[in-house]
Amino acid sequence: MNGNPALPHLSAEFFVWLWFASEREGGTMDLGEAGICDVWVDERISFRAPDEDRVRAVVTGENSSTAAEALAALASGKVVRDVQLHLRREEREYALTLRGVHLDLAGAKLPPHEAEGDDGLLYERMFLYEDLWFVIGALYRRFARERTSARWADEILPAIRAWAAGELADGDGSG
Amino acid sequence: MGVLKGAMTVRRYAVLGEVPDDFRVRYADALADHAFRDPPASAAGEERSGWCRIDNLLETDFSDLNRWLFNQYLVAALRTDKKVLPAKLFRAHLDRRLAEWCHQHGRNRAPSGVRQEIREQLEIEMFARTLPRVQVVEWVWNLVDGWVAFHNTSDSANDRFVKLFRETFGLELAPFSPLDFLADDPDLAAALEAKGISDYRRPHREDA
Repeated sequence: MNGNPALPHLSAEFFVWLWFASEREGGTMDLGEAGICDVWVDERISFRAPDEDRVRAVVTGENSSTAAEALAALASGKVVRDVQLHLRREEREYALTLRGVHLDLAGAKLPPHEAEGDDGLLYERMFLYEDLWFVIGALYRRFARERTSARWADEILPAIRAWAAGELADGDGSG
Repeated sequence: MGVLKGAMTVRRYAVLGEVPDDFRVRYADALADHAFRDPPASAAGEERSGWCRIDNLLETDFSDLNRWLFNQYLVAALRTDKKVLPAKLFRAHLDRRLAEWCHQHGRNRAPSGVRQEIREQLEIEMFARTLPRVQVVEWVWNLVDGWVAFHNTSDSANDRFVKLFRETFGLELAPFSPLDFLADDPDLAAALEAKGISDYRRPHREDA
């Protein structure tokens, strides 16, 4: 880490890609160095207008990722501000909200841990935090590869538009 | 909720600069120098910030390394106190004192200088009886890998933290950028950085 620019639009695009890719791939994604991980949008997605940070729409509930309101917000040009995710890597499960240009973690729930003493607890929680951050990094690297590929303009972006419009057929835009 | 228990709400930073070889001694002194200090009881309502230990917000003794250094992790908390007077109660007391002054001096209205003097005296008295609002935010610094996790995402708390961190350790913090995930592939980072904003709206069809 060396003080790179935050590039706000790319965080918002990452959130959309996460949402789309998890739906496209049925919630199971091959993240290369992080292995096979289950990734799905949990119970909340919030949206903002492109030129402001204030929340304009929030979609909640068990089916928020497929809710017509959520897709309509995206199709109407709103920007994803934060997204609640569930990640599973090996036997470890994480629930969290990713938010904003710096990818802040909000309310990140770590897997159960039972280390004894403050020292042990700290080491275990830091291991889990780093594991979670590693998975998020692997997801971002995969997003970056897709976002910079020729397939983005030719296949993936049209597929996201079709999906947001409720028109995605099975197999479209598959990764 | 924070470093040792509960859900994590975290903004991550890169630490710009090197940790000195004698950091154990140097950072113990630096933490002590910038530890939280209780203000005088009658202090006015300015905000005060400083470091405390995570085991108890009243503990500001950093002389024992085992209390804040755990292998590669430096762990502490940012304590910020601010006294705020209850506005309606302050107004009510002020009105009463001004009325008493007018009654004693046979005047309909107190001059501005007197009003100011009475206001300042009342603030001193009420601040002395008011407990501060206390915010404690824990943070972890991985001294080996050069990142800090600050357990709060509000901009105001983060601004205070970055400023006090710089004053304490002489090192700058840079908020995490997702491009940091691409540090091992600068070509990919450069290509991504050059990308604009995608429009997920369906393009209008000319023939529609």
